[in-house]
Amino acid sequence: MQKTESIEASQRPIPISLSLLLATAVNLPLMLMKLPLKSYDTNFHIFFASHYLHHWFDPWNPKWYAGFSQTTYPPLPQQWVAALSPIFGLEMAYMAVQFAAILLLVVGVYRFAKLWVSPRAASYAALATVFVGAESFLVYSAGQLGTTCAAPIYLNALPFLYEWVRHGKGRSFLKAAVLFTAAATAHHATLLFGSFFFALPVLALAYFDRSEGERVAPPAFVARALAITVVTAAAIAVALLPFWIALIHYPVTQTPIPHPSRANYILSPQWGLNYFIVPYGAMILALPFIFWRGSTTPRLRPLLFGFWVAFLLGLGGTTPVGPILLGRAFEVLTMERFSYWAALLALPFIGLLASELVARYRTRAIVGLSVAAAFTCGFAVAWSTYLSPEGGAEGLDVKSVAAWLNRDGHDQYRYVTLGFGNQISHLARLTDADSVDGEWNSGRMLPELTRYGGGALTNSKFFNKPGLDALRAMLTDADHYGLKWVFVHDPSYNPLLAFAGWRQVDSLDDNTVAVWSKDGVPPATPLNAPQIPPRWQGIMWGICPFGSSILAILVLLIPEKKRQEAAQEYPVDENLVPGRMVS
Amino acid sequence: MNKSGRLLAVILGAVTVALIVIGTLDPSSTALAYAGGQGLVPSSSTPELAVRDLAAEIGMREWGRAYGSLANKAEFTEQNFQNDLTGYYLSLRTYATLDHFQVRPLHATANDAEMRLVLYWSTVVGTSVSTRDLHVVRDGDHWDVDWPVAKKPDVPPQVIPVNYLRWDVIYPGAGDDWGEQNVEAPHVRIVDMHPVQRAEGVVILGELLNEDIVPAYVSVNATLLDKEQHPIASAGSFDKISHILLPKQVTPFFIIFPNAQLSDVKSIRMTPFSTLVPASADPVIAIDNEHLNPVPDPSLTGQVINQSGQVVNVAHVLGTFYDKSGQVVWVAGEYLDRALLPQTPEAFDIHIPEDLARDISSERTVVATYSERGEQ
Repeated sequence: MQKTESIEASQRPIPISLSLLLATAVNLPLMLMKLPLKSYDTNFHIFFASHYLHHWFDPWNPKWYAGFSQTTYPPLPQQWVAALSPIFGLEMAYMAVQFAAILLLVVGVYRFAKLWVSPRAASYAALATVFVGAESFLVYSAGQLGTTCAAPIYLNALPFLYEWVRHGKGRSFLKAAVLFTAAATAHHATLLFGSFFFALPVLALAYFDRSEGERVAPPAFVARALAITVVTAAAIAVALLPFWIALIHYPVTQTPIPHPSRANYILSPQWGLNYFIVPYGAMILALPFIFWRGSTTPRLRPLLFGFWVAFLLGLGGTTPVGPILLGRAFEVLTMERFSYWAALLALPFIGLLASELVARYRTRAIVGLSVAAAFTCGFAVAWSTYLSPEGGAEGLDVKSVAAWLNRDGHDQYRYVTLGFGNQISHLARLTDADSVDGEWNSGRMLPELTRYGGGALTNSKFFNKPGLDALRAMLTDADHYGLKWVFVHDPSYNPLLAFAGWRQVDSLDDNTVAVWSKDGVPPATPLNAPQIPPRWQGIMWGICPFGSSILAILVLLIPEKKRQEAAQEYPVDENLVPGRMVS
Repeated sequence: MNKSGRLLAVILGAVTVALIVIGTLDPSSTALAYAGGQGLVPSSSTPELAVRDLAAEIGMREWGRAYGSLANKAEFTEQNFQNDLTGYYLSLRTYATLDHFQVRPLHATANDAEMRLVLYWSTVVGTSVSTRDLHVVRDGDHWDVDWPVAKKPDVPPQVIPVNYLRWDVIYPGAGDDWGEQNVEAPHVRIVDMHPVQRAEGVVILGELLNEDIVPAYVSVNATLLDKEQHPIASAGSFDKISHILLPKQVTPFFIIFPNAQLSDVKSIRMTPFSTLVPASADPVIAIDNEHLNPVPDPSLTGQVINQSGQVVNVAHVLGTFYDKSGQVVWVAGEYLDRALLPQTPEAFDIHIPEDLARDISSERTVVATYSERGEQ
């Protein structure tokens, strides 16, 4: 039987609804299984959300570091988790917000890619978004809710930026400004670096396109670009004012904490696997195409440059680019987020490649691309099983520890855990007691923690000498902080506790957790820290970031005026014969 | 496709490759640290480089590669080599990581060399230093290290009579909280205490006696007070004390207030804590061949011998140093990073500040121990 396919059909974009359905099919079961709970940071975000749930207008959280301000981290996704938690519970609310971000990313990539490539190629890019290893890596291994929420909002804002600069549409101006602000309240670094990797290429594209269709004079172009920059910067300054105040008054000057994303991935191939192979997956095979097509198609060059810089930074210490471009920030930032942004910037190219391969090789291309996509996504999702982010806390149930702390007045004193990995946030959420440890390194101010270059005390030994020095310093000053309890899930710490004057007084969870205590420790008292935000900042923090997202939703409901689309030339391989008859 | 576009693609590709090559051949200090200090192609073209490569592999716990590079690997197994570095029994070394190392040439000829490798291990109780003098031999165009492996100590079969004292504590009931003992704390007394101004701050030295007939878990806190009797700072003895005191036993203590000035201090409030705990006199640790070494490198050296039949995983040797009048002039200690096997001597070497060494006329040594089954 002879089958036919029209040229028109082969040029038609894949419906965005299909990509969204696919994203749902892939991610919804994993979310319902709460797979992200295994990741590094998911519990951290839920812990922050838990605080917002109970103290929406008070960002001072006494449960970590003897008190720290949550204004040191943009709050939007966590506030949404808190807002949804009365319906779903905290953990499932997190899954709901993360899932929404995944769906939003599909839409964002489609809209962003449409600026660069044909609608059909953009639809392939949106489809590819579902399988991007970097997204799965960040969601299921890293648990970077802020980054994975900010990026889709940002991507959705970019087409409005283009529309405003190209056509001067006030509605686009409003939508772009509001969405950029909402993105910033989700993750500040995305806004900062996104301006260079995403917004500058879009502005460059708008400039290149200025003479096509509705012409825009260079002065008008510059004025529009400046206007959106100034207004957005002002909006972000207001929406995140407590954050900026905290950052200016208490800049992050602590000794840098090592992170393997800054390794050279060739000299340290195990980290190359973790931070290059897993996030990029089969996209690595497309790198020559990205460079070739991005260079040979003038219109794609801004996108290529954005991708290239993000790609180089994402290579961590493999190239000297990170230390040179970022300076000290290289020792503070983690590099996997740059690979994530590079992967998003590569998606229009991937969409282009996929559409051309499918046009040329049909079924064979579809099968090949599907297999590559499935392996990329599957490997990245499964990676959290192979390289467990739980930091030795596999199988640890912190409920018994929380119950112990919550009874008999034990919560009058502070505590610290050893060997609890990523479960300290979970424990902090369940207990009424306060800790001197925590997982938000930039928010800590205690000199015992900031001086040495170790991360969370619970993982001290993994930071070698700096981590153990910090732990000893904290135990030395235990009386000062009312630190009476140490919960040990890793007996390698026992000699230190035994010689430093701590006694094992109990054991929990089938003897897998030992409770150590120190005599003579006074009950913990609140620290009168200068970092405590004043009341007005708490109110701002409770209103502005969340309000910006509500405003974003509202302005998106404003319908766009239909504009006569100018004929747009999209980059295609001139050797292709799209939509040929097949039988 | 235009010519400039193709050129751009080639340039970007070439620059990317060049940057990767530069970053790999001349890695940043951060990247190098993650690679264990080793570059892309480890070179053993000189005796020093051979020792450095070996130390880097030890630091990364690449036991197979390190063992494979040894000249005398036929003399022992890889497991022997690993145990030599990490300990045959659970000890501080078991979980230690190599923080850094130093290599010093001692002697060299065209075909062999003597090198000193100083390994700085990071353990939970602090840095532990071990020194190995290595013989390095030339093999064609590269050098290999002869590793002087310390084989597992052979403890002969024997019977150790166990007749030590032991104190048990009967708690009110299994369901009762541990803290509700309502038992009077053992009587302890500070028998000596005086502050000293040192470059690093104010140091309080002293001794604590358990006057009671039951064992006590002890610690000492000190608070510096100014002229108005306001607290300046508080600190505890931390690990510079033997926390478990059997009846009539004495422990030294050492409390430091970094950056404090003795001239600002009017008085000092001392607060000893004691709690009744179960304890035993086992393991008995004997001290042998003690010797006070004079300047220029003053130290207290000797050996500790575990006289019990059980392995002691960690031992902390605390030395109390007295002047002619019997007053404590310094307290110092050293952790032994090897397990104490029964009847097997283990050396210790406690450094003494040079400016105090001349005042010291006698010393007393106590050993605090930790065993996997419980601390002493």
